[in-house]
Amino acid sequence: MEQSLRETIHENPKKILGVNSQDAKVSLSYLTVAFVSLLIGGILGLVQGLERAGLIQLPSWLNYYQVLTAHGLLLLVVFTATFSIGYLYANLSHALGGLLPKVRKLAWTGFVLMIIGVAMVVTMIVLNEASVLYTFYPPLAAHPIFYIGLVFVVLGIWACCFGVFINYRHWRKNHPGEVTPILAFFTMGVFVLWFFASLGVTIEVFTLIPWSMGLVETTNVMVARTLFWWFGHTLVNIWYLVAISAWYVFVPRIIGGRHFSDKLIRLVVILVVILNIPGGFHHQIIDPAISQSIKFLHVFMSLSIAVPSLMTAFAMFVVFERTGRRLGGKGLLGWLKKLPWGDVRFLAPMIAMISFIFGGAGGIVNTSNQLNQVIHNTMWVVGHFHITVGVSVVLTFFGICYWLIPHLSKRKLTPKMNKIGIIQTLIWTVGMIIMSGSMHIVGLLGDPRRTSDTTYGGHEAAASWVPFEMLFAVGATLLLIGVIIQVYAVFNMMFFAPKGNTEYPVAEPEDDETPTPMWTERWGLWIVLLLMVVAMAYVVPIVDMLLNAPPGSPPIRTW
Amino acid sequence: MKLAKYGLVLYIFLALPPVANLLESIMIVHMHMQMPLLVASGFLMAGFFQLKFPNFLEKWNSNGIPGIILFVIIWSYWMLPRAMDEAITLQVVELFKFISLPFLAGVPLRDSWKKLSSIGKDIVYLYFIIMFIVMAWIYIGSESQLCNNYLLVEQKTLGWGSLAIAACMIIYLLQLIFIDQSEFE
Repeated sequence: MEQSLRETIHENPKKILGVNSQDAKVSLSYLTVAFVSLLIGGILGLVQGLERAGLIQLPSWLNYYQVLTAHGLLLLVVFTATFSIGYLYANLSHALGGLLPKVRKLAWTGFVLMIIGVAMVVTMIVLNEASVLYTFYPPLAAHPIFYIGLVFVVLGIWACCFGVFINYRHWRKNHPGEVTPILAFFTMGVFVLWFFASLGVTIEVFTLIPWSMGLVETTNVMVARTLFWWFGHTLVNIWYLVAISAWYVFVPRIIGGRHFSDKLIRLVVILVVILNIPGGFHHQIIDPAISQSIKFLHVFMSLSIAVPSLMTAFAMFVVFERTGRRLGGKGLLGWLKKLPWGDVRFLAPMIAMISFIFGGAGGIVNTSNQLNQVIHNTMWVVGHFHITVGVSVVLTFFGICYWLIPHLSKRKLTPKMNKIGIIQTLIWTVGMIIMSGSMHIVGLLGDPRRTSDTTYGGHEAAASWVPFEMLFAVGATLLLIGVIIQVYAVFNMMFFAPKGNTEYPVAEPEDDETPTPMWTERWGLWIVLLLMVVAMAYVVPIVDMLLNAPPGSPPIRTW
Repeated sequence: MKLAKYGLVLYIFLALPPVANLLESIMIVHMHMQMPLLVASGFLMAGFFQLKFPNFLEKWNSNGIPGIILFVIIWSYWMLPRAMDEAITLQVVELFKFISLPFLAGVPLRDSWKKLSSIGKDIVYLYFIIMFIVMAWIYIGSESQLCNNYLLVEQKTLGWGSLAIAACMIIYLLQLIFIDQSEFE
């Protein structure tokens, strides 16, 4: 029976009022910055691909490493961070019934701090004062303003972290005996991880500022690299956690099913939060200052993250099969046909999930000591993160846009826009298969990454890489077309799509599901365990690096 | 009984020579990973002993205090540099380590913890915080090599590791005090 208006207002006010417009403004502002940086970063990506393939020659005022630094920072830091914050704050607002006014203020403070920070960073890159690549570790030294800009970005993220903690705590206090909604739980997990991840890079940047100013003569390169990867690898799993929040909570609803066990989802979040940070060490397998036995012990720590990943894969396939069968799918694989492949809100995250199978397998190669020797610093690594971040994460983000943005701007997703989305997803997928696939292969043939010219005086081994580099350019061209379509779609849905209501597609639990136990809410305990794991991983190598430190490196500028 | 089997598997795994050699080759891993894992294996196996010898445990450990004292003594003994050194040098001491930590520390811990009053638990908890802080002070501060088998740098690493554990325990304590635990029941 249809609910009366009065009942609806009481029981489900969001249905009538839609999103709180002040909260929507926060999210939409972050999303706007995200997609503007996607456009700029995407153009820089194509420029890079063309230069690498030898098809264009960059003008004298712009060099390959500037482009590479800007592409990396704009996409890996700015795009992903602003998108994640916009999306997660929308989730928090939806799940907890609106943001607290002071939390909204914190989100705006974070926004302003991040904009100031990004402006400083980008200015320095454009002035060719900071061609230090996305990883910005010493001995390459940028202008001090570049590092100060990074401090602002981190402060912005912290403002958002504290906003989430305050809102979560407030809800907890006012709802004794209830578990927090799953979307708020995911948001809490992401921001806890973000906070502790950024501690490492903050310490690093604070040692680099006086060094780049010339106040301190040398810096300990190994410690800086270790602190960077403490943050750098955790960032990867922050994106991953954001992406799986959509897989677990929204995708089941979009295909017309229920979500998999609430308890399992929370367990995955907790495991990802606790086990994550030490994973950074597999980025340093080639680094000399870490002993072999420590690297061996770290294989366990890095691979432990495969446990929640496999739990996710299992849960998602169960949801797909269950839903497909409920919709009448027969036989061994008949349920696959029943899934809504023509709906971009499903297709994009589904391709993202499938690509994670390949991305995850490549990740195991990177983590394994012996295999890493073959692929370290080759184009394989570039191919790897273009398939993980560029497909698993980014296609999920793109898929989210098609319901999140119309919901926030109180508009509708039209069938035409859905079709544009499908075309965009397919162009993106093909582009990425061509680009990332050729990067993987040519990496195995030895093509180095982060190098503008790899002709090596026309050596025949280097010449064999050229056809693959041409394929990078082909893939990058398709990807830029994809970026342009996506940016068009985003701003169309934000400002021009027809007015209307778009559902926030949160999946419900199965009817017979047992209630989630309250112990999952013990964030204090999870944080202590996270710190214990960090201590286990980092005390030995860092004390060793400090007590047996080499003389240290002065700032070096290679450009 | 499933837990007891897992405990036994863990115990056998830890006793495998390559595993024991690897874990003992790094000082901090020896003290802060191998030893706690041995205690954990005993803790898991305790169910078997509780089932087999209920009268014995009831008679000698009815209020949990004798068991927890045994646990504290055994663990504290293995925090001594000399004890670790001898475990590597003398086979007999190594054997004693593999018997004492699981069966004289792990098993009594499981049997005693639930029987203890909250004050008893607090005392044990505080004792370990203080012990780790003192160890950090000694191991970081000592200018001379305390173990023949481990270098000075490893000793300092162990000190910092102990400090990190003490810090984690204090943070855990603070969140227990400041967050209403009845929220999670």
